[in-house]
Amino acid sequence: MSRTGNWLAAPVVLALIATCLVPMGVLFAYSFFQVDFVAINTDPTLKNYAKIIGSETYRSLIGRAFLSGAVVVAITAVIGYPVAWFVARRGGEWKSALLTLLLVPLYTGDMVRIFAWRVILGAEGVINRFAQWAGLITEPIQVLLFSPIASHLVLAYNFLPFMVMGLWLGYEALDDALVEAARDLGAPPVAVFRRVVLPMTLPGLIAGGMMVFVMVVGDYMTPQLLGGASGVTVISAINDLFGTAFDWPLGSAIACTLLALLGLFLAVAAYALSRMNLGRSLISGEA
Amino acid sequence: MTHDMHRRRFLQAVLAGTAASALPLKALAAQPDLLWMVWENLAKDEYLAPFLARSGVTISKNFIGSDDEQFAKLRAGGDSSVDLITPGLDKVDYYMASGLVQEIDLAKIPNTAKIYDAFKNSPLGKADGKTYGLPFYWGINPLVYRKDLMDAEPDWSVFFEDSKYAGKLAMRDYALEAVMIAAMYLEIPRDQIFHLDDAQLAEVKKALIAQKKLLRTYWSSIGDLTNLFATGEVVAAYSWVPPYHELNARGLSMGIANPKQGTIGWADSLAIPKGVEGEKLEAVYALIDYLLGEDYGKMLAVGGPYAQSTSSARDMLSKEERETIFIEDMSVMDSFIWRSNPERYNDWVALWNEVKAS
Repeated sequence: MSRTGNWLAAPVVLALIATCLVPMGVLFAYSFFQVDFVAINTDPTLKNYAKIIGSETYRSLIGRAFLSGAVVVAITAVIGYPVAWFVARRGGEWKSALLTLLLVPLYTGDMVRIFAWRVILGAEGVINRFAQWAGLITEPIQVLLFSPIASHLVLAYNFLPFMVMGLWLGYEALDDALVEAARDLGAPPVAVFRRVVLPMTLPGLIAGGMMVFVMVVGDYMTPQLLGGASGVTVISAINDLFGTAFDWPLGSAIACTLLALLGLFLAVAAYALSRMNLGRSLISGEA
Repeated sequence: MTHDMHRRRFLQAVLAGTAASALPLKALAAQPDLLWMVWENLAKDEYLAPFLARSGVTISKNFIGSDDEQFAKLRAGGDSSVDLITPGLDKVDYYMASGLVQEIDLAKIPNTAKIYDAFKNSPLGKADGKTYGLPFYWGINPLVYRKDLMDAEPDWSVFFEDSKYAGKLAMRDYALEAVMIAAMYLEIPRDQIFHLDDAQLAEVKKALIAQKKLLRTYWSSIGDLTNLFATGEVVAAYSWVPPYHELNARGLSMGIANPKQGTIGWADSLAIPKGVEGEKLEAVYALIDYLLGEDYGKMLAVGGPYAQSTSSARDMLSKEERETIFIEDMSVMDSFIWRSNPERYNDWVALWNEVKAS
């Protein structure tokens, strides 16, 4: 039985190696090369990595990507908790409908959502027009669009469903009796959340947070099209290096560095997850 | 269309097969199918119809999204099946240095006799007196502005000096042009623009960092910029020509400024990948001659609207049509700064990333 299983899995494994690992290997190899106009010099060197470590620009772009990831994880967590609670505890027979509804924005495509947000946030947009009409402001608020505020707001909107999914799983596994017991023993709501709900749903928070984080770090359209002049990301820098500058080696080295840091981050998160009961059951399917 | 082609090929094959031994049916022998890497707006079916009907050649198109993408594709080994490419004239260097293109035999393209002097005298696309990239069509990348929202025609200084338009300006997210414009603004002599030294690059960087505060955003697609003009988010931008035509047609009052510091001119070229030979090569030469000829030139001038690199169609156009594509007064070409390939382009890109990340 298990032998048959192995054979059946073989094509998938081969496909994964061919389409995922081999290109990554090529990328990794390129990161040790050098470029001279259009010629790739294949004598291995660590110069590209030295360049990244020595460059404030690339260091700060990578740092900024991780910071953005953390900010968006925090925003989606704050919004996601009540939403997930509502779906899990008040959803009733509508639960699956609510979860589907939550995913609807994802069906519309990146560009559509980005341009829709422009209509809402622009100087001539819905919010500014309304505020001007209501007499709240005389000049449009420029910072609503083409600013870090705009890009983080939309990133949070884009990836909120992934956080809610994680938290919803967390809530489903949370025994209400524990919450009730805490209340009966006189714990105020904040303490109930902090000492019972949060620790018990933490695996869901970490799982959702990991997904959101990785997607934010890798996103490039949203900051580029909504972030204004400061919307540059490490991904767009890699894109410039591969495309415009034909510096595939340096582009590869930055990509590999980013990947390694992300891998490290995920490893830590996965380790934390594996230390928790619900986490174990999420990962390995054991109860 | 493909259905038709298949049927025609099938018939050709059958006819050729049955008659092969007895009759040299040259006209019916399978004509080559050419694969052309090209911008979508240059290869509209109606533009190519006269050539296809005349030659019996078929053309498959592989549309490009950017020059860089075209080079990356060919460089990554995608050149084996491509018969004709359309690189920026300033980028032909890359293809030559990578050994991706072959020398063009001008004798096989009669219309090259009509190429404008500005291109004949330009070193772009050539090496050792041989031509590898043949100028195809050209235009300017101008400063476009909303006439209704600005008091006077701006020049490049509006992107570098504080004014009431600060926060309503846009610049393309592209190292080459961003640095060129800063250099023009800083009045660095034209012959030095593509050979900037460290001190000049530092000055450019300072200007571009100052510029960043004045911008609403950087734009990356022309559709995006058109949208920004239309909604009034942006009143002036370093632009391409299409938003000017498109928004004027929609009733907005758009202007093209003629900055005293100069305007960026560009040209795209036609180049033939190495390895194209025999019948296919002959067909490619015929196609190139058509693309530089009057039928195509007229359609491109009206439909594009863009000017081809030859004077083939010039006399067939009205004064307005000539003005639209900047060929009424040919001396205007002398004021353009043609996009070239900077010596230290990697430093330019690094600088541009530093500016954006600052």
